[in-house]
Amino acid sequence: MDIKEFNNHQIKEKILFSKTKNGLNIYFMPKKGYTKKYAIFSTNYGSIDNKFIPIGEKDILKVPEGIAHFLEHKLFEEPKVNIFDKFSKMGADVNAFTNFTQTSYLFTSTDYFYENLELLVNFVQNPYLTDENVEKEKGIIAQEIKMYEDSPGWRVYFNLLEAMYVDHPVKIDIAGTVESINTINKELLYKSYNTFYNPSNMVLFIVGDLSFDRIMEVINKAEKEYGNLNKSIERIFDIEPNGINKKIIEERMFTASPIFHIGFKDTDLGYNGEKKVKKDIVTNIILDILIGASSSFYNELYDEGLIDTSFGGYYTGKKLYGHSIIGGQSNNPEEVYERLMELISKPVNEILKEKDFNRIKSKDLGSFLLGLNSIEFIANNFTDLYFDDFLIIDYLDLLSKVQYEDIVNRFNEHFTQENVALSIIRPLEV
Amino acid sequence: MALESQRIKLGNGIYLNLIKTDKFKSNLLSYYFIRPLEREEVTKNALLPLVLRRGTKNLPTSLQLEKKMEELYGSNLSVAINKRGEKQVIRFTMEWANGDYLGDKGYDYKVIDILREIVFSPTLEKGVFNSKYVSQEKEILKRRIESKINDKRSYAINRCIEEMCKNERYSLYQLGYVEDLEKIDESNLYRHYSKVLETSPIEIFYVGNYDENLVKYLEDSNKMDRKEIIEILEEDNIKSPMTKSIVKEELDVNQGKLVLGYRTGINYKDKLYNASVVASDILGGGPNSKLFRHVREEESLAYYITSSTYKYKCILLIDAGINFDDFDKAVDIIRKQVEDLKNGIFTQEDIDISIKSLQSSTEAIRDSIFLISEFFFSKVLSQDNRSLEEILKGFQEVTKDEIIKVANKIEIDTIYFMKNKVK
Repeated sequence: MDIKEFNNHQIKEKILFSKTKNGLNIYFMPKKGYTKKYAIFSTNYGSIDNKFIPIGEKDILKVPEGIAHFLEHKLFEEPKVNIFDKFSKMGADVNAFTNFTQTSYLFTSTDYFYENLELLVNFVQNPYLTDENVEKEKGIIAQEIKMYEDSPGWRVYFNLLEAMYVDHPVKIDIAGTVESINTINKELLYKSYNTFYNPSNMVLFIVGDLSFDRIMEVINKAEKEYGNLNKSIERIFDIEPNGINKKIIEERMFTASPIFHIGFKDTDLGYNGEKKVKKDIVTNIILDILIGASSSFYNELYDEGLIDTSFGGYYTGKKLYGHSIIGGQSNNPEEVYERLMELISKPVNEILKEKDFNRIKSKDLGSFLLGLNSIEFIANNFTDLYFDDFLIIDYLDLLSKVQYEDIVNRFNEHFTQENVALSIIRPLEV
Repeated sequence: MALESQRIKLGNGIYLNLIKTDKFKSNLLSYYFIRPLEREEVTKNALLPLVLRRGTKNLPTSLQLEKKMEELYGSNLSVAINKRGEKQVIRFTMEWANGDYLGDKGYDYKVIDILREIVFSPTLEKGVFNSKYVSQEKEILKRRIESKINDKRSYAINRCIEEMCKNERYSLYQLGYVEDLEKIDESNLYRHYSKVLETSPIEIFYVGNYDENLVKYLEDSNKMDRKEIIEILEEDNIKSPMTKSIVKEELDVNQGKLVLGYRTGINYKDKLYNASVVASDILGGGPNSKLFRHVREEESLAYYITSSTYKYKCILLIDAGINFDDFDKAVDIIRKQVEDLKNGIFTQEDIDISIKSLQSSTEAIRDSIFLISEFFFSKVLSQDNRSLEEILKGFQEVTKDEIIKVANKIEIDTIYFMKNKVK
């Protein structure tokens, strides 16, 4: 068995890598002295992958909204036995999540790690879908959707995505709608599963005080035999035009005070690896300098009572979409928006100073180190970065390499009036 | 590796707790102030940390304070106000990266000084708090209190507790009341602050790697000479239902939020306490629990349904998000599951699963620098001398008979249901 080792001496961490006989990539980060062990098994398949050519077919298939998430729920189904019971008996806490680009199945345990790992590989690789159990899930997911419908934070976010994007499926709610999930059936779920859940599209990451040899042994034994599945997956994305869909979306719902999200849609797309992750880091540094808690902007607006501590911003994106989001609560979201437009129209050397850049960089270095205390942080960030084609162990070095010039260039290109949209949720009228 | 703390008395009612570990890439320092939960001071206590974090004598504005913490590698300040039974706890915490990984050793002292300044040396104006800061933070707190409806699930839980415990101090909302805010100004808040400093039991926690010099520094800089320390009374724990009511509230929502409030009559000092935690877990702890299986998996009525016990307050709450029309059906199934628990309709395997799950989450405390300090603080608060290992063993010893005994003490008190407005 070939094992590759990636080391980072500064943070005193390493990651080991090997491949199974079916071509599944396994990464492991040892954490000596930790009680908890964590395994996360992910496929590069999320809510945006709603148009594709199913494996073994020729025609493009458009699937109902929310199907990736539906499939995530259904993989927990096993003939006769309850998979939750099996994990519970071995003290493991099992869970799963679906986001725009990935579906992940994970567990944490203190004991019986290897037995739980075997269970994880087994249940993800062996779907058991029947018409009846698919039907049964619809009521449960409908309640999940309704829960999100009552969350102002979720609504303001998805309204913003709707405002920013014309065609890109990132604007679709991850869980779908009550109507769309009702059109999901066993056949569509199997087609999606067979296309996206093959080893070459997946990764398994493990972190904890464990033996890598033993991990590989368990996975190689548990793994299902695959035929020739290394074909590339045909995903179809409509070309998303530059510019935004709608300038503003407003909605009223049961909430205390208005909340808002301002979004800058990214147009500099198409990257993976270091270039992409560096863009993420650079954009987040800019946002911190511009509107973070140590910015004059934040402090002035706070003093005027326009914002509170809920105010903040971040950049997030993948290869084919990306956006900066700035948001919070305010009694006057339009004023905050105007002030932000005023801010970004100022000369760049006035608003992005080198000493602020250095300070924020120090902060980010420290914050990342704090993150490395948590195996959940490590596992979730590993997977996210892995699908960007980047290893978490190189993150600190990349962050150290970011220069002041990088942020100036990125600012000019990303923070423009053409790319910006606004979403507001207001309280109901009394 | 056993978790141990060294506890040093620094003065009347003030203790320094040291937990040495080199497992983390950070260090953590926390100050906890313990107050009685009372209407008279609940709002002031909630406001206090918000005002204190605005600026210190040497760093009088948020801007300066924020910049300083960023320079110190993003030293992370968090303040919190929590309800622990009928006590209100004000917490100030700083966590910062270990300098060994940054090629900058020994900046720990700078971070320690900043946290001390935030807590003990606020920026003042004519001998009291800065009036602008107080009025701004009053507004911020007001908004935060009003925003509690934004999270419908926790709002529903709070409403159930409020109704159920309406004649008890526990019904008080930990962030206080808008109408009480109006009476607060920079002078009376400062007077209250002085009282908090002079009379509260104070617990200081340091978790991380340290040497003798650092311990001496922490001891010397935190010595206080205080006279009267308030005695924090144990909560009144009502053993049986008080209200027996069903409260339905109509709001503009898409999902019904159901909360069932029960009295258990078992507090953390009771020898049946562990059994009560296990009982609640069997009922609605995880995906293998009775409620999850029957309400979600069999009937597809809910996405989430859980049961939790409240350590300091002898109550157990079950909550779920359901369709408005499923109220009767859901309540029937839940009551049936509670009945089954009373009648011993559960297996040894159910017990083992719950014990294992409770042990795992307890053991996981070791992996979080913050949870370690919270763990030792909660031991102080409940005067519980058991080690983590003893607590784990305590779960192991729970028997089926004890769980049945516990279940038969559980009595329904209040049912709260958030439903939609009929238009």
